[in-house]
Amino acid sequence: MPPKNQTHRIDDLLGSVTEELLLGNPQQFEDNSIRVERLLLEMVRPDPVQPRRVLPEQLHFAFHNNRLTPTQALKELVQLVQVAARQRGRPFNNVLELLPNPDDESDEDQSVHLSPEEQLLHDLVNLAVTIRDDGQVNPLTVVDVSQGVTQQFRIETGERRYWATWLLRDFIAGYEGDGMIPCIIIPTERSSVFRQAKENTARSGLSAIAMARQAALLVLTVHGYEIPSHAVTNDFYRQALELDLRSKREYTEAVLSAMGGIKRGQFSYIKGLLRLSDEAMELADRHAIEEGRLRYVTNVAPEYHTEIVRQIIDFNLSSKQVKELCAGDGLDAADRDDKVEHLPASAVKLAKITQASNTTSAQDLAQAMLRQEGDASLARARLQAMRKLLTEAERYLTGD
Amino acid sequence: MTRVFVFTNHKGGVGKSTSATNTALGIAGMLRRAGAPNARVLLIDTDSQAHATLVTTGTKEYGTDDSLYTVLMADRQNAAQTLLNCIVQSTWDADLHVLPASPMLEGAERELMGIAGAPYRLADPLSRILNRYAAIVIDTCPSFSLMTEMGLIAATDAIVPVEPRYLETVGLMSVIGKINDIREGWRQPNLRVSGILVTKMNTRIRGHNHLLDELKAHSVLGKLLLGVVPANEAVSYAHQNHQSIFNYDPKASASKAYAQFVGKLVQRIAKGGV
Ligand SMILES: Nc1ncnc2c1ncn2[C@@H]1O[C@H](COP(=O)(O)OP(=O)(O)OP(=O)(O)O)[C@@H](O)[C@H]1O
Ligand SMILES: [Mg+2]
Repeated sequence: MPPKNQTHRIDDLLGSVTEELLLGNPQQFEDNSIRVERLLLEMVRPDPVQPRRVLPEQLHFAFHNNRLTPTQALKELVQLVQVAARQRGRPFNNVLELLPNPDDESDEDQSVHLSPEEQLLHDLVNLAVTIRDDGQVNPLTVVDVSQGVTQQFRIETGERRYWATWLLRDFIAGYEGDGMIPCIIIPTERSSVFRQAKENTARSGLSAIAMARQAALLVLTVHGYEIPSHAVTNDFYRQALELDLRSKREYTEAVLSAMGGIKRGQFSYIKGLLRLSDEAMELADRHAIEEGRLRYVTNVAPEYHTEIVRQIIDFNLSSKQVKELCAGDGLDAADRDDKVEHLPASAVKLAKITQASNTTSAQDLAQAMLRQEGDASLARARLQAMRKLLTEAERYLTGD
Repeated sequence: MTRVFVFTNHKGGVGKSTSATNTALGIAGMLRRAGAPNARVLLIDTDSQAHATLVTTGTKEYGTDDSLYTVLMADRQNAAQTLLNCIVQSTWDADLHVLPASPMLEGAERELMGIAGAPYRLADPLSRILNRYAAIVIDTCPSFSLMTEMGLIAATDAIVPVEPRYLETVGLMSVIGKINDIREGWRQPNLRVSGILVTKMNTRIRGHNHLLDELKAHSVLGKLLLGVVPANEAVSYAHQNHQSIFNYDPKASASKAYAQFVGKLVQRIAKGGV
């Protein structure tokens, strides 16, 4: 049989007709502008590496590994919340019961105690009902990632509206829509980690952990890492811990501006949150703990992270309290500030050594000095120079 | 709005499938040449004989769960997704997608007869995926069956392929009248007869020339004439080889005629107007 799919053979023929017909109007199809279209819900998929996560971690992975359909994922979320709600003495059957009752004044202070999952479902139901009653929803922004006959659009922003629309379609009575959702389609070549980051940081409610993931994606991108299109574990983001912006000066400004115009020091603190253990990270993300309270936790050994984050949540510890709780374990992060990056390494090293003074005996130090310098008088000279330095340093601290 | 071209004529063997398949491919190729951001074309085969399916996909082994039949049987909520799942890529071109027919479609007519909303079972899900395609092309069977009705209801532009020997204006007017009935009866203001395509034209036959001249002179039909495809052996050979005429022999007279015809359709697609 003769070969098929010889596209080039017909191209000449069709090309000549094309030019003839479209003569003088070559711009007709060069429309790469951003379009708004209504898309079938099923064609739209949340971004598995979106730093801002909507679903709880377990559901996030089950959904993105295709073990759950959108409807099943929502069903699991509803069940999860039902169990939690029953334990707290607020059982419900229909998700609409979650909407605040305007006649019930106690509602307001009850909402303070909602678990993150309850809060999420509340928000989604609220949004769903708004969509139902207004008959429309703000368009999501999506990127066309269709391949062959598979039509697919990856959500850049608006994942909550996506879930709310599914919730509306499958869990709330009175939906009369056609299963479609308005989307602004970004041409693939215009989509980028930077764009997404800007969109994310421009909106409120991005948790510190989401910011950390966002920072990681940016750093990995500027270092030429391929960002996968499937769900990734924290270890993927943690690769960014070994990379920094200093070696990529030409991107520093763009990265910091995509992160919402933060300072470089703040950026490293945020990225540093990736040192938290998996469980601590998930907890901190779900409860939206701020960077100011989390930064100290990374100073202690990872096995304590979850416990400390739990304490932060349960006792609503202040940043100062967290700092005290985590103190004494190595270099105190609170004293690293913006200037740290510009301090000579020798000064930082010396400062760190002072922390060892409590655990070292004078005799041991003398012997170590002797071994290092090989000569008692040289050792004494070093100590005297050091004493002078220390005295002067102390003067700076007392403000003299 | 994406144009949906339906090739229809209740006369058999007039070149509906040949025209539908080659036109679908031609539109995709031409749009790509013109630099259109979306050059995808969907060919929908509503004929249980599945000729268009066979030549464009190399097989007609489609049935209960992977053909147009599946879409027609799906419940309303899932029909659009089902449609997406059933679409396959043509062996002709990556931008040509096919919703295959199946012999089961014959049974479907009986199964759906009398069910409320049955005639919309293609139009409804199709409307929800329409904008993903630059154009849709529907092939129909040679009768005004429920399947053909579904194809017409889903369409914006009806194109009537006709052989010169059937060119009597009376016969053509009856096809057009039938399409108009659908338009009125099913309130499809978007549907209109937008063209006549003369096929298998042989200029050496005096009768052919005579009838074509008559058509051109007709006040209504003359304006609708969109193309004349000569009778050309290359067409049957291409068909037998499951190839498009453009690939089989780009220099054949029929290739050129189809390219001209496709050019006119592409112009309409590009302008979004008449
Ligand atoms: N221009 C042409 N020149 C020569 N043969 C042609 C031409 N157009 C179509 N044919 C041949 O005529 C036969 C019928 O064509 P085709 O299958 O396209 O018609 P149809 O209207 O789809 O038929 P049906 O009504 O059975 O579905 C095929 O064998 C085809 O190869
Ligand atoms: Mg046919």
